Amino acid sequence: MNECPERNPKLAWREIDGEIVIISPEDSQVHELNETASLIWKYSDGIRSCKEIAAELAAEFDVSLEVARDDVAQLVKALEEKRLLFVAAAVEG
Amino acid sequence: MDRWIRRTVERHLPWNVHLDLTYRCNERCVHCYLDHQDYGEMTTLEIEGVLKQLAEAGTLFLTLSGGEIFLRQDLFELIAVARRLHFDLSVKTNALFIDAEKARRLKDLGVRGVQISIYSAEPEIHDAITKVRGSLERSLAAIRTLLRENLHVKIACPLMTQNLMAYRGVQALAESLGIPYILDLTITPKMNGDAAILSLRNPVQDLLPILQDPIFHPRSCDPGEAANPSLAISDTGSSSSSGLGSRAYDDIPCSAGHNSCYISPYGDVFPCVQMPVATGNLRRERFEKIWFHSAEMKRVRAVRESQLPVCSSCTIRTYCERCPGLAQMEGGDLLGAYERACQLAETKAALAGVENPISALHTWNGRGSLSNKVLSTAPLQPGCV
Repeated sequence: MNECPERNPKLAWREIDGEIVIISPEDSQVHELNETASLIWKYSDGIRSCKEIAAELAAEFDVSLEVARDDVAQLVKALEEKRLLFVAAAVEG
Repeated sequence: MDRWIRRTVERHLPWNVHLDLTYRCNERCVHCYLDHQDYGEMTTLEIEGVLKQLAEAGTLFLTLSGGEIFLRQDLFELIAVARRLHFDLSVKTNALFIDAEKARRLKDLGVRGVQISIYSAEPEIHDAITKVRGSLERSLAAIRTLLRENLHVKIACPLMTQNLMAYRGVQALAESLGIPYILDLTITPKMNGDAAILSLRNPVQDLLPILQDPIFHPRSCDPGEAANPSLAISDTGSSSSSGLGSRAYDDIPCSAGHNSCYISPYGDVFPCVQMPVATGNLRRERFEKIWFHSAEMKRVRAVRESQLPVCSSCTIRTYCERCPGLAQMEGGDLLGAYERACQLAETKAALAGVENPISALHTWNGRGSLSNKVLSTAPLQPGCV
């Protein structure tokens, strides 16, 4: 959970009513994120770690930290596979 | 995507913006409506400010066009700013300036689409329209360069008297390149009101080979399909590239002023590039103020198809591609009917098997069916424009 996900800078995206729509210029694919995924997306700034994002998520949606961590791990993995997010290891210290 | 379009229409978010960076051009296309003189284009800094305002207002789809955008020395700087603001970026260009390096930079900056005008597969026709010798060869070379960078290229082919039947060659060319194309029947008066270039527009009866071509209307015998004509052909120009098949646009004429707008190189904001209704200038006011509070923008936004004084009662409305901007330009009334749209609708309805189709405008004017005359190859009555 120490990795820091970062949005692919080539992507186009906007938020409407708390939900994110993403368009990939490579294949013109449209990706629609639900409210939870949208929050994870917004926090994926390359600075916050997955652990920190999970803590934000737990506070925002009033779920346990364990559930939030699972959600973040699953979603980051899925978005990384679609090349929407890049994941770098957190810098220690 | 329909869900998002619906939201943007309901909330009046400027989802789709067409920004002309310049009216200067290195071609002199015979049908062009622009004045190529530079009367004081927005500076790099001013455009950067506009882009930031658009991002804040919710714009996702941004089309950079002109004029020829590569005449702006700051083009890549502006595209880089747009990329950082997360727009979905498309550009329109004649591509004469595009080489391998520029193609690579477009790709690296995440430009999704490049639209290039090709008027014919035959150089003598294309070059006679652009008035630049060798322009077809150079544009095609640029398309191949862009394709090598895996950019999405689309051919746009405006059709006029000089090149009407060239569409088949353009179609074959696009297919050989493996890229999409759009045919556009729209010719509009010049921005200064000069209507002389409308003489380049094909009379409706000359369009019959296209309107009858099964390539574009594979289901044209079904009236229920008539409201959703093939996107490969358009008589309403840019407005039909905005996902207008969406039910979100039910009872509104088009996306103009609802979730899309046009910005000129001088900062003037219009509901659409084809709608000469000035709503404000970004050198004097912020975008959001113009977009949400301009009286003219509100007036355009208030128009409902069901309340149009003539067209709402038209029995062949489903065959019509009425454009409110062209209604303003050609008939002088944003809410009105105009001859060209009525003629086209009657012709399409007749081709689809409707008996004796007469538009509401012609019913009001007491004229007979144009379409029957078309199908019996008699000449059409001249249009009013």
